[in-house]
Amino acid sequence: MNWRGWFDRLVVLLILLALWQAGSMALGTYWLSGPWLTVSRFFASLWDGELIFHASYTIQEATVGCVIGGVPAVLLPFALRKHPVVVAILDPFMVGGYGAPKLAFAPLFILWFGIGIESKIALVAAVVFFIVYFSTLAGIRALDTRLVQMAQMVGANERQVGRYIVFPGAVPSIFAGFRIAVPYAIGAAVIAELISSNRGLGYLVQTGAMNFDTTQVFVAILAATLIVHGFIAIVDIGERFLLRWRPRGAALVVDQGL
Amino acid sequence: MAAAPILEIKALGKRFPARSGREPPPWIIQDMTFSVGEGELLTIVGPSGAGKSTLLNIIAQIEVASAGEIAFGDERFASSEQKSLQPGLNRRIGYVTQDDNLLPWRTTIENVLFPHEVQGTLDDKARTQANELISAVGLSGFENYYPHELSGGMRKRAALIRTLVYDPPIILMDEPFAAVDAQTRTQLQEDLLRLWSLKRKTILFVTHDITEAIALGDRALVLSRRPSRVAAEHPIPIPRPRNVKDIFTMPGFAAIYEHIRADVQ
Amino acid sequence: MTTADLTSGYSESRTIPRRWLVIGGRIALALALLLAWEWGARSLGPLFFAPPLATFQRIVEMAASGQLLTDILATMRVSALGFVIGCACGIGLPFILQQLPRVTAAVEPFIMASQGIPKYALTPWLILWFGIGDAPKVIVVTLFTFYITFITVFAGIRGVDQRLISMARVMGASERTIARKVIWISLLPFFFTGLKVALPRAVSAAIVGEFLVATEGVGFSIEHARQLSDTTGVFAGIVVAVSLVLIINSVVNALERRALRWRPVDRDMQI
Repeated sequence: MNWRGWFDRLVVLLILLALWQAGSMALGTYWLSGPWLTVSRFFASLWDGELIFHASYTIQEATVGCVIGGVPAVLLPFALRKHPVVVAILDPFMVGGYGAPKLAFAPLFILWFGIGIESKIALVAAVVFFIVYFSTLAGIRALDTRLVQMAQMVGANERQVGRYIVFPGAVPSIFAGFRIAVPYAIGAAVIAELISSNRGLGYLVQTGAMNFDTTQVFVAILAATLIVHGFIAIVDIGERFLLRWRPRGAALVVDQGL
Repeated sequence: MAAAPILEIKALGKRFPARSGREPPPWIIQDMTFSVGEGELLTIVGPSGAGKSTLLNIIAQIEVASAGEIAFGDERFASSEQKSLQPGLNRRIGYVTQDDNLLPWRTTIENVLFPHEVQGTLDDKARTQANELISAVGLSGFENYYPHELSGGMRKRAALIRTLVYDPPIILMDEPFAAVDAQTRTQLQEDLLRLWSLKRKTILFVTHDITEAIALGDRALVLSRRPSRVAAEHPIPIPRPRNVKDIFTMPGFAAIYEHIRADVQ
Repeated sequence: MTTADLTSGYSESRTIPRRWLVIGGRIALALALLLAWEWGARSLGPLFFAPPLATFQRIVEMAASGQLLTDILATMRVSALGFVIGCACGIGLPFILQQLPRVTAAVEPFIMASQGIPKYALTPWLILWFGIGDAPKVIVVTLFTFYITFITVFAGIRGVDQRLISMARVMGASERTIARKVIWISLLPFFFTGLKVALPRAVSAAIVGEFLVATEGVGFSIEHARQLSDTTGVFAGIVVAVSLVLIINSVVNALERRALRWRPVDRDMQI
């Protein structure tokens, strides 16, 4: 991209920061903390470990939830590949689960598992499961049957077909699913913390607001946003590495947004 | 030609897949009978839609016949008994399809070694042989390239040696060179003949290109329109080794070409 | 099973036609889930599980007393308001940006970056500003709706633009009005997709927002029940919440099918 594009973006950034700073000075930091305050508190919090303490909690919830929700979501379509009737039976339930607001279950999970980390993990897992299930299913359905025939011609059995043909073919879709799920996962972790928690970035937001400490609120939100983008970057890097074989410009699933 | 045919097709028939209508669907192939000698390169020509691919699929055992019988040496496969197919007849039949069907996520060498990996025979000997085949078709230096980085002709070659690497006695080829430009096609045809002269395999080569059928085959079968059967059989009198590039100039070419073309109409 | 079966679909002649097998299986699964629910209630106790019957009884009570309607209306009020504002911005902004390509290029990365902000996390700060009324929830719903519709319509406009330009050139650049009409018709599927995704999202965002700040509403009833350890109330509220969103989902999908049926726009437009 040309230098004029970079220049424009820099200008926009400076304008946004200036507006932010001006607003903060006009309204007072009780209501709107300023950019300088936020960034300096961010690093201070990072240094003394407080931010790490809370952020790691949220990250833990998101990661473990992604694994607990994501792994069955990937395995199930593979296991059911030879049983399309079962997939058809499950379909309305899965679609219902996908469309239903999983976050509505947050209070129930808190009731069941307490205000500790388990309820947040459960919520994240529920959110991630349906997203990854459908993208994995799509990846398997897009299977090129000619490749399966080729493998069978050279003597591959069912297990080998699954391992050498079906799975690698579905990997791009699985990655797409996780990339879409990441913001939802972090969002679910944060909302569960907002409702009831004694630790985590959502907790920081809640307590910050209660104490009129908007700087803390912004620091926590900034940290959460960075985590979302960081996770997406990790998924992208993993994808680029594992999918070196793809021709450039291959169409990817378009994100529908948060 | 060998005394006993390695492959016999007897009154083979195949219907279209059944739809929910009352009548049985029409035949694609009906009453097809021919035999193939060991080490023979048999070309099969016919109009499109004549079920040439279907025929190969049935021989390769990835599709069930509706009627008739196939005999491989001493083994017989009748259509009514074909409940469980053995695709590739336990690696005794190789199949080079129209699409190269290379696994996009594997490099050239990994694709070529795929049959060995599946069969559990991946050892140094296999690797050496694979590398020899790779240089035999001029793909040296491209071992670690992914299919999307190779040209169409290169992918065809890779698909071809992937089949050769596990040494099946019978190889089916379904218009493998149709999708490349004329120059590459001639080159691939020469490569095929050269490889074939080193290791005499039985090859069934389907094509819609009469020139190709003449250039490559010991014998050319002409299929009729649907429901197709063997309309004619033409031994190719042009002696080997054949000059594929200038096959038109070979004595007897024009005559056999005219014969075959008349039969294809 | 032959490979031909794999490629050509499923053989028609089984002992039971597949369609009945699937329907029967679904009914069986639904019953099994219901039984599991009942068993869960019996073995895990009333604190963790409310039995299905008690849950539905509670819903009936809520309906009879009018509380159900009040809650639903409260939630829908919030989501409708946020949805409308969000759509207006999400649909309007791409059109404005389209006229200012340099601004668009400069601003776009910031919009995409801001998408990573967990929107519910803004709620406590919004409560600070606007108190415990509807405003914080409406703003959050607006944000959700905005991003969804903006991204969809923005992508649509961009896609149309390229094709439109070449088409206009080939046709000899007809009047702007015609061009505008072409843009509109091409954009309709994108509109519908965006609205279709955003509306249920808006409702669920309102519900979740009520966990944090509300005095009434579907979400409020769930969280309120939890705080009183009223498990039956939690279950009842969740059933209402899930049903509400799923019903809206189905209605929106049905509307889309009808709307697209008599439009000449190509239905194959993928997002």
